[in-house]
Amino acid sequence: MNDIAIWTEKLVKVYSQVKAVDELSLHVPRGSVYGFLGRNGAGKTSTIKILLGLARPTAGQATVLGFRVGHDQVAILERTAYVSENKALYGNLTAKELVRFTRGFYPNWSDDAAARYARSFEIPMDRPFNKLSQGNRTKVFLLLALAQGADLLVLDEPATGLDPLAVDEFLRVLAQDVVGDGRTVLISSHQLSDVEQVADHIGLIDQGRLLLEAPLDDIKSQFRLVTAGNALPQTRSADVASVTSNGSFCKYLVKQNAEAFAAELRRQGATVTDISPLGLREIFLELVRKEEPCTSGNAGGIAASVSSSF
Amino acid sequence: MLLHINPSSGVPIYLQIENQVKHYIASGALRPGEALPSVRQVAADLRINPNTVARAYQNLERDGVLQTVPGGRTYVAENPTGLLKSEKIRRLRPHARQMAVEGTQLRLDPQEIIDLVRQELNALEEAHERHSDLDRKAR
Repeated sequence: MNDIAIWTEKLVKVYSQVKAVDELSLHVPRGSVYGFLGRNGAGKTSTIKILLGLARPTAGQATVLGFRVGHDQVAILERTAYVSENKALYGNLTAKELVRFTRGFYPNWSDDAAARYARSFEIPMDRPFNKLSQGNRTKVFLLLALAQGADLLVLDEPATGLDPLAVDEFLRVLAQDVVGDGRTVLISSHQLSDVEQVADHIGLIDQGRLLLEAPLDDIKSQFRLVTAGNALPQTRSADVASVTSNGSFCKYLVKQNAEAFAAELRRQGATVTDISPLGLREIFLELVRKEEPCTSGNAGGIAASVSSSF
Repeated sequence: MLLHINPSSGVPIYLQIENQVKHYIASGALRPGEALPSVRQVAADLRINPNTVARAYQNLERDGVLQTVPGGRTYVAENPTGLLKSEKIRRLRPHARQMAVEGTQLRLDPQEIIDLVRQELNALEEAHERHSDLDRKAR
């Protein structure tokens, strides 16, 4: 368990009638940058809140850095930096005062790092927080999180309001200062291109359930979009995650062994016109979108088969 | 060494790095014995995960393209082709097959496909000569 930073087993969170988190089992490897992806309302923030002790799970269990969620919460919070989704802080304090307020809570706090990030993010440190732009508020949050020297960074939409230059600087800091020292980063974001650049593991959830969890490189080497004419949407194998059809043309999202599946299509008389690799954005859309008439309903089987191959 | 990556392409980033390093070596832009930037430096420059860069370097080392001195820097291997001929051919064959399949699908005739490979070989050779000239002038 020592090489796992975050572990959950069949985590459930029910808010009134709604299952926000539905038997979610996550494995975030220590030292990884884990892209935690999903649509709005997919259950990402609910999951994060449970991990940090801000919400109680309805069922299931979890550990963070080896400590049990709900039992060793102080140990978890000491070692975890959290950038929350709604970026709210004491509004009349300046960034400088917020730094002074925050540093006392964290034994590994670095004043050097705080000063460095204040400069590199170009944060107006003497202005009250509630007078700052959305982007600068985000930067203050990032500074406070990065300077804690935490073993785990949990970043919920860390790029909110940041301009492209600030995003670039943030990615540089992650690559240079955070990853590689055994520190773990969980990023929940809709900015798929940023995640794609820096993440090495992906967890994709929808309606509280895990659709896909695997090393990003494995996903990219194995996932293929197979396009075929004269094909039937019913043609399936265990490797097909979703199908969309348009007339006699079908697009199959295949999670591995695309060549074997294409051979099977040809045997059935179809013409395979294309087998192409996909970016994260395309995979996300293919797995999550619902409106297509023949989209497969059971994409949930993907996790186990891909994650074992790294 | 200037690497360029496209994170949103379907090609894993570590493969993009491997291919570019191999190309730099084949074209003479990187010389045997030359030092490569550290994993951390490449990761910071490209804003990517250091684990990804480390994976590319490890694969290149396993293939005999790079050498790492213990606890230290990574260099272009002095003798990068220590492999048996049969092994080299085994590794290249999938690429040749891909060329043959794609070329045939595009209805190029065999000679045109072979000419294409020859042109690429010539381009590499010319690049190599250019780099040698630059080296001579620099001395």
